Amino acid sequence: MRSWDDGKEEREESLRRLRESLSQSRNDLSRSWKIYKRSLLAILGLMMVLSVSLIAIFADDIAVEHPYRNLQDTEDKWSIDYEPRRVEPFSEECDWHEQKIVTNPNSPLFSETVVAESDDKVGDDNRYYRDTLSAITIIKIEDSQGYDLNSSLLSIDPDNSSILVLSPDLYSNTSLYAGVWVTYEFDNEAMHHWWLPDGYDVCIFGTNDQGQDLFSKVLYGARVSLKIGITVAVLTVVIGTIVGSISGYFGGRVDEVIMRICDIFFAIPGLILAMAFVAAMNQVTSLTTPVWLAVLLPILVIGSYSNSFLSSTVPKHGQTDSHVMSKLVEYRWWILLLPALVFIFGWSPSNLFGWPEIFELSESKIWRLTAVVAIIALSGVVILADKRFINNSSFEGGMERLKDSFDWTNPWRYLTFRTLAVFISLALLFNFSGTEGGDIVIIKDFDRLWKVQAALIFTGWPGYARLIRGQVLYVKEMTFVEAARSVGAPSSRIMFRHILPNAWAPLLVAFTLDIGGTILSASGLSFIGLGAEPGTAEWGILISESRRYFLDSPWLMLYPGLAIAVTVLGFNLLGDGIRDVVDPKNRR
Amino acid sequence: MIGVAIFTFAIAHIIPGDPAAIQCGDKCGLIVDYTEDGEPITAYESNRIRLKMDDPVGVQFWRYVTDLAEGDWGDSLLYHRPVVDVIKDAAPITLEMSFLALFIAYPLGIILGIISAVRQDRMFDHVSRFFAIAFVSLPIFWFAMMLQLYLATGTEHGGICDPIFGTEGGCFPIYGRHDPSYTYPEDGFYSFYPAGGTGFHLVDSWFVTDEKLATMPEEWNSNWLLFKDTLVHLALPCAALGIASAGSLLRYMRASLLEVLNEDYVRTARAKGLSEFRVVVVHACRNALVPIVTILGFSIGGAIGGAVLTETVFAFNGMGRVAVTSLQYLDFVVIMGVTLITSVIFLLSNLIVDITYAIIDPRVRLE
Repeated sequence: MRSWDDGKEEREESLRRLRESLSQSRNDLSRSWKIYKRSLLAILGLMMVLSVSLIAIFADDIAVEHPYRNLQDTEDKWSIDYEPRRVEPFSEECDWHEQKIVTNPNSPLFSETVVAESDDKVGDDNRYYRDTLSAITIIKIEDSQGYDLNSSLLSIDPDNSSILVLSPDLYSNTSLYAGVWVTYEFDNEAMHHWWLPDGYDVCIFGTNDQGQDLFSKVLYGARVSLKIGITVAVLTVVIGTIVGSISGYFGGRVDEVIMRICDIFFAIPGLILAMAFVAAMNQVTSLTTPVWLAVLLPILVIGSYSNSFLSSTVPKHGQTDSHVMSKLVEYRWWILLLPALVFIFGWSPSNLFGWPEIFELSESKIWRLTAVVAIIALSGVVILADKRFINNSSFEGGMERLKDSFDWTNPWRYLTFRTLAVFISLALLFNFSGTEGGDIVIIKDFDRLWKVQAALIFTGWPGYARLIRGQVLYVKEMTFVEAARSVGAPSSRIMFRHILPNAWAPLLVAFTLDIGGTILSASGLSFIGLGAEPGTAEWGILISESRRYFLDSPWLMLYPGLAIAVTVLGFNLLGDGIRDVVDPKNRR
Repeated sequence: MIGVAIFTFAIAHIIPGDPAAIQCGDKCGLIVDYTEDGEPITAYESNRIRLKMDDPVGVQFWRYVTDLAEGDWGDSLLYHRPVVDVIKDAAPITLEMSFLALFIAYPLGIILGIISAVRQDRMFDHVSRFFAIAFVSLPIFWFAMMLQLYLATGTEHGGICDPIFGTEGGCFPIYGRHDPSYTYPEDGFYSFYPAGGTGFHLVDSWFVTDEKLATMPEEWNSNWLLFKDTLVHLALPCAALGIASAGSLLRYMRASLLEVLNEDYVRTARAKGLSEFRVVVVHACRNALVPIVTILGFSIGGAIGGAVLTETVFAFNGMGRVAVTSLQYLDFVVIMGVTLITSVIFLLSNLIVDITYAIIDPRVRLE
């Protein structure tokens, strides 16, 4: 094991470099900020984004109630973050009720007692009816002019708390002929199936048909939307950058193929493609072929990529004959072929050997076992690419090397072990995931919001690929890239150290603008019923749910829409501001 | 085009959803027939046989492509009609709406863009730029519903039209393509607009024969009134669809014109003593419009995508609504058809853009 003091100078040197670059970047940042704050709109956008983010973070503390009140069996188990700290199922603040009592003695409706009842509502049979409510306390009585009255004028009948009793004073006071307004707190679950208009006490955005507080829902919606927006934007940027830089850097046939694929994506409107993708994913209860392809293809690609590297490390004939490992490496393709054969021909070998009878295995289990063996063997071949592993491959001093291999200070070793761990965990996942009709189920409860994200990533990456490709093509021709190539830097180094750092500026702008765009498309998908589950605190679904009532209770639609608009506007303004900073040509 | 065909086919086939199972629903186990050997055939199996799903994928794809080429796009499982017919009914509705929306958006965006570039950094510039960004940020469906709420309803629902214009129940109809009083006459809607018509009711309304008009209610008995009715019904969807395009166009136009205004030839034109109007409109704008034309191709695709949302809100039975409905019932034949037709429209519009390019920019013609 290496001691901590070994690389002291190196560490100091790297620390010094880090400090230098930090101070440099601090100067750059302050300069950028100076340019940024010239624009009022940009500052406005930054403030909008910040406030929406703060709302998303502190939604638990601001919200009046649980966003899923009354929906105990909500199916959306998307994130643990949905468990808010407020656990009371009903917020007391919204449980007040306001009722007008007509005190005109000439009215046929008038009597000494008034039943505490809800506003008119439409029942399942489309008839209007009123629910009686059991009142707890009377909070306020106002006359028709809005002046407070003595609350002793009205009392709750002690025998039946759904009846309010008028005092004789109120009864005889004919000046109150237009009626009085009574605000009382009620204790009735039925009330929660009715709504309150906006601006009502603490529930400032009103409540919906389930009696749920819209304000809380909109707050929690910020969380969902920001999460979707940022995840999708980050992942599309990553995929787009990888594909685009490969396309731009290598050019030629690779470029041609990738760009044609992108053209196909551009030819289909993004929203329709995303819709088709989500609908398709809705059918996914078990992932078989697609997941196998998704897991195995990268492994094979890595394997074939390491081929050239492996060849360079294989010892020449007669040089290190005694090394067992070099033999292994020499015949690695046979080793690779064996699991591949096992994989291709399925479980036939295991059937031949009569394993199922011995171990009492079911058919799908054999399938998975075969797959696990294949994956582990493949990963073994990948690990063989370790240069030092091959160089030191003899049995002498094996124990020391084994100890050495657990040395965490060696990054390469660490990486290898992590890769191995990932593969083993994948294999375990395969083995222990549930079965459904003999298929392998990787992800149970494959949730709908994830599908939206997957769909938006799926449709979003070609745009970035094209952007980055253009940028890489532009930077590639510059002299410093040529210089790096002339000193023999490998492609990956040129790519990551020379080209990409000089191509990030438009990417940042596109990234910021794309967060807004993603939030828009995600809410659009939810609106047409292909996004979040009904009942989720997501802005699109809130609007779509309120469509039925939008003539009579427009507030249900107004506020979620405003929330979307403000968030997207914030990101757009922010993106414009950043563009002004990083791209001086476009400025003004 | 072939790429899109492969792509849609792949989407429909990689997905585990089983059309045969969807078609028979809960009656899949029902025995409907017997083979020659007396083996029972369930409804599910007969569906599979009818849809030829047991063939190899390659064979299925080849059949799909050849059928496409012959104009047979398959039969919709949901509508029980050929997909071509479904699309033939739906496409004009969407196209009418998107084209009209772009027809509004382009002049609006370009003219405002020019003004805001010329009056750079003045009040007008700031305000118009802010509104441009704001309109781009609005969710289309929400904006459409707000338009419905405020412009298409009476005062009792918060409409603002009635007190200002003295209308009843808002300035515009709230949804649909036509007034319901004549949409479903006794002899049926489709016999009213002839089946051989274009499907664009703005055009078709001028070709309704006098005999037909005579049977109409009093207030709809002339071609002009029918045209006006269609136009009025289109106004709100187009506004909702066009406003975002107008916003982004304003920004593109402004940026492009500002760049052009710094060019040497503009300075030359100014030095010649031409009026500012002539410099901007004749010399600068012609060059600034070149990148705008490129966006046209993309914005048609975007408008069709956005039409999905507006059609849902305004209850138009266009392609977007067809796509949504068929997606909900997993009618992938229709989805493949809609995807294909939208990409065809997209490619066609890009072709038109290329031709327009050659007209506007002589340099392209020389190459």
